[in-house]
Amino acid sequence: MSVAAGRRTGIIALLVLLAVAPLLALAPAAPGAVRLAGVSLLWWYVGVVAPLLATALALVLLLRDAG
Amino acid sequence: MTALAAVAAWLQPALLAALAFRITAGEADASWLALGALVAPLIALLAPARPPGAPPVVGAAAALAIGIVLAADFLVAGDVATLLGGARWPGVALAALAALAVAAWPGARRLAAPALVTALGLLALAPLAVALAAGAPPWTAWPRLALRPTLTFSERSRWVVGGDRFARRTTLRFTEGQRVTALADGVYRVVEHDAAPPTVREWRLATGDVLTLRPGDELSVEAGARVRFEAGRRVPGAPASGVEWADAPARGPDMVPAALGALVTLVGAALVLVPSPRRSAAAGPLLLLAGVSGALAWGVCAAAAFPDLALGGALPAPLLRLPALVLGARAGAGVLVLTLGALALLLATATLALRERLAAAASPALELWAALVVVAAGVGMWPLDAWRVLTLGLGVAAAAWAPARLADGVSGALAGAGVLVLTFAALAALPAVAPGGPLWLEALARYPALVALPLGCLAARALPAPADAGEPVVG
Repeated sequence: MSVAAGRRTGIIALLVLLAVAPLLALAPAAPGAVRLAGVSLLWWYVGVVAPLLATALALVLLLRDAG
Repeated sequence: MTALAAVAAWLQPALLAALAFRITAGEADASWLALGALVAPLIALLAPARPPGAPPVVGAAAALAIGIVLAADFLVAGDVATLLGGARWPGVALAALAALAVAAWPGARRLAAPALVTALGLLALAPLAVALAAGAPPWTAWPRLALRPTLTFSERSRWVVGGDRFARRTTLRFTEGQRVTALADGVYRVVEHDAAPPTVREWRLATGDVLTLRPGDELSVEAGARVRFEAGRRVPGAPASGVEWADAPARGPDMVPAALGALVTLVGAALVLVPSPRRSAAAGPLLLLAGVSGALAWGVCAAAAFPDLALGGALPAPLLRLPALVLGARAGAGVLVLTLGALALLLATATLALRERLAAAASPALELWAALVVVAAGVGMWPLDAWRVLTLGLGVAAAAWAPARLADGVSGALAGAGVLVLTFAALAALPAVAPGGPLWLEALARYPALVALPLGCLAARALPAPADAGEPVVG
């Protein structure tokens, strides 16, 4: 995959990661309010899962292109 | 440009302080704003780079956006000064002088990267110290807070012990009875909702006078008013319980336009404020993660310990008040100094990066930067809401500047900017033209970039790219 195509895919993946947060919070029946180990699914997502995934994805793409 | 310099323009003191504040206050949009503040600049880091140079209209839009973002930072500096017990102007003046000094000092650029790393390190360490002392790191503080049946004033709260000051004009809604003691002479306006139509009373109180409020009453206080509350009573304006803090009742499908507007504004603004780096690429995402995670940790720790920290409306209150309340006066003072140092370093690196963005998009003239700093400092003297000002600045950046980055040529950039300015102005004027409109209309007025950005991009793309195709548009 070319650098430009890889980055385009990365941007789309980041936008999807971003869009999931309001979906979890605002969807009917509030799926984001479900508790896992005491913390809501929404906050697991915006505080841990999505930030780590997004940062790792950006890192991989930026390092690959720099290398 | 290195990734460190690229993300410095994004990691504004106003943005990080606002995130911590909104999480402390249990605002319904805090969760996706925190994620947006991280992901938006990551998208910008991956977006294709454009060589510098821009038509004058785009340069003017860039200058306006940067000036407003700068004003938000100065408003936070003014809030810091009031939280330390002084007037607003010394904080704003110091911040403005720092913004001028870093721009004029040739060696500042060399020190920017270590300064940014140090600032974020300090910001991350301070909540860690607070969490360790309180025995509640964010991952345990969150569930404890979410289980609390009521969020009340602690006996150790500043609002209870010696009273505290409101940073700006505020209206508080009381859900249970409360005796409020005035600690400064002034007029206190109470709206009683127990009868229709509501009764409005204006009380002129002297220091020490007590106002008894009933459930449902609204109290309006002016900026600078000092009051004391009773311990054990619910915090007015704050979520009623831990469950409400964790899952704000306001969340629902009605908020979709506002959520989309906020995220489009963040992504659009990041596209122009955060240029694609050419070197040290790995540092950018890691610093963004550290900065946003630090703000998130501050917010959760502050809400768990003292949910009234957001009451006064000063954005840096959770950062500056929490250490002394949890660690005690002496240790808290040390952490407070570190936090103040972190905010000062963040301001310095952010202003330096903004100056570089201004030079790339408009003009490198020091006079232009100085004029922007003076105007922004003038705005910073007023007790405005720094978050509203910051979202306005990011909205202008997203609406009037971002399409130029996506356009194929200068004519497209001009068309995009023109469409955007008109759309932005029309939507921003909505509250004045049609007050009390539906929620989606309010969302458009608050985040005009939601409509302005796609329209501007369409206009920019619709125009054919003539001889100027591929020519520089904006950096």
